Amino acid sequence: MKVKWWSAALAAAMVTGLFGGTAAVQAEEQVTLKVFSNLPDRKNGQGLVEQMIIDEYMAENPNVTIEVEALDEEAYKTKFKAYAMEGMPDVVNIWGQPSFLDEVLEAGVLAELNEADYADYKFIEGSLEGFKKDGKLYGLPRNTDVAVFYYNQKMFEDNGWSVPSTYDEMLELGKTITEAGITPVAMDGGDGWPMAVYLSDVLYKIAGADYQGTVADAVANSDFTADTMKQATQLLRDAADAGLFQIGYDSQDYGTAMNLFTNGQAAMFYMGSWEASMALNEDIPEEIRTNIRVFTMPVVEGGAASATDIAAWNGGGYAISANSEVKEEAIKFLNYMYQPDKLSKYGWENGVGMSAQDQTEYMTGEETELMKQIVNIVTEATSVSGTPINDCGPSAFKTCIESEIQSVSNGTIDIDTFLADIGAACK
Amino acid sequence: MKKMYSNKLVITSLVLPGVLLFVFAILAPICLSVYYSLTDYSGMGSWNMIGLDNYKALMRDEAFFTALRNSLFLAIGFICIQHPLAIIVAAVLDKLSGRGESFFRCVYFIPNVISVAVIAYLWKFIYNPNFGLLNNILKVFGYKGTVNWLSAENAIWSVLVVLIWHGFGWGMLIYYSGIKNIDPTLYEAAAIDGANQKQTFLRITLPLMKPVIQVNVTMAVISALKQMETVYLLTNGGPGNATQFTATYLYQQAFKAFRYGYGNAISVVFIIICLLATVFLNKIFEEREPERRGR
Repeated sequence: MKVKWWSAALAAAMVTGLFGGTAAVQAEEQVTLKVFSNLPDRKNGQGLVEQMIIDEYMAENPNVTIEVEALDEEAYKTKFKAYAMEGMPDVVNIWGQPSFLDEVLEAGVLAELNEADYADYKFIEGSLEGFKKDGKLYGLPRNTDVAVFYYNQKMFEDNGWSVPSTYDEMLELGKTITEAGITPVAMDGGDGWPMAVYLSDVLYKIAGADYQGTVADAVANSDFTADTMKQATQLLRDAADAGLFQIGYDSQDYGTAMNLFTNGQAAMFYMGSWEASMALNEDIPEEIRTNIRVFTMPVVEGGAASATDIAAWNGGGYAISANSEVKEEAIKFLNYMYQPDKLSKYGWENGVGMSAQDQTEYMTGEETELMKQIVNIVTEATSVSGTPINDCGPSAFKTCIESEIQSVSNGTIDIDTFLADIGAACK
Repeated sequence: MKKMYSNKLVITSLVLPGVLLFVFAILAPICLSVYYSLTDYSGMGSWNMIGLDNYKALMRDEAFFTALRNSLFLAIGFICIQHPLAIIVAAVLDKLSGRGESFFRCVYFIPNVISVAVIAYLWKFIYNPNFGLLNNILKVFGYKGTVNWLSAENAIWSVLVVLIWHGFGWGMLIYYSGIKNIDPTLYEAAAIDGANQKQTFLRITLPLMKPVIQVNVTMAVISALKQMETVYLLTNGGPGNATQFTATYLYQQAFKAFRYGYGNAISVVFIIICLLATVFLNKIFEEREPERRGR
């Protein structure tokens, strides 16, 4: 009899467990989110921050599996287009710039976001603008990017060099550094866009507040022959002619240029503030990484902008696929990622650079000198340039300027031809 | 058996897979390419028919003609440098016997078994003006300057060297097989007649290699025209358009510049050029055939 009771109890427990289990499964339906990222390095910098948030989200939501596909920028943009034709992953990286976003929004592949949801997310004033079309929000910005010259402070001090305050001084400094057998500035000229950012930086120093108007008019009228454009291009050419960049800069990629700097073969490296995590990267020799400092483009004599008018913009960010089958979960994840204590805080703690959200409350005073310097540059800025010139027009223009800028800097084509070619690409 | 082969159903079932493959894998994509080349399609969203505008723009596009010229330069480089060298090396290998023959055959073929991505990055480092192998070798020999191997002036030659080096093994191996198939009694007869090595090579080896040369040259021209991956990874067509090739330019326009319609116009012109090149090469080899027989 006792055995029968035990059998009945076990059977009841089994049945209850079975139904209970089914109910739990029903309550927490398994969801797979596909994230398409342009951050292939998942152990350093921004990629690490993204992965940390993904891991946390999965830990907090056991029913959600997040699959990441990460490619570097060029490959990413190509595959993004292929995905646009055959079906987009749920969460994607985008750029809030006309050269990328115009065609993407026209194709209707991104979901509209509710701007009111982000009222408390502490986005910096104006940072959402690049991600809007006709007043509707389609993405959220990740960073505030600043164009800077990273320099090796110890190398500067050991050789008695000082940070240049004018463009001419920088060219002179370049010659002095070359005479010492060191490359002055490591430039990723092979990719085209860093030089286009450099051109924008110089143009901003010349045109000042007129920068955006000059570029917008040039793109709209397919005419880049404004004097300020000519002068900026000439200054880029002067820098290349003076040997400011490494030999072969126009064929060397991001990694090669960065390695020149992080190995101590170059005194400076022109890049965006997102590389501030170099100061925490243990793959870089300690003597170099602890001595990395920054300065912004020196003023151009006769230019309208001062030293504190800087080239800065909100570039990359995230969006949700319009056709995502798990759109609700994707938006939930996006909102989780942008909680001020996630992307912004982790980015800050990992020295990734300035976020598009207010980060002041996360400053501990123990940040690297490099981070503090970048914060100072941004907080002391009297104005910012906005989108770099190569991202202000259609993608045909972007492709053209990023290719032709190599030719005009190395003297293969003259400045007038360059300006005419990029103008024609806007038509 | 004969009855089976005259059965139309059997014939159809045997021919159909090939026909379907041709229609769906070759003909349909070409037709789609022609269609899209008449549109302003960006690769996403909707498109408009714009007639021959893409073709008109292409005829005015300097970068396209630079790319075409570079492809032609590469084809000439293959024909005039890679293949004569490959024939000579194949002939020398044929004369070597024993371990030396197989050792060098393997050594020359090694570049072909290495991935294109690895090769491109390997040569990027070799050519690097700041820390590359080539400039360091020059320094050992006392050269004090720095050569920029991938500058706008030098890049096309540097790319040519890589592509010749990379493709050399295949060409050499095909020539080597061709030489091995030549009847050895012909060489014996020539030796009895007192022919020296040069005469034997020019009068026996080379003429009998003609079908192999024809295949190899046609393949070389087509591979020059469709060259993409090595150049894309090594120079990405730069600096400027200095190493732009037809296929890299097509890719750039279709997938980077969001000009899918224009990219398709390039591909249609590209197909026509490939067809013309093949017909032209066949004509060359056909015309010389009766001349040789007539002698």
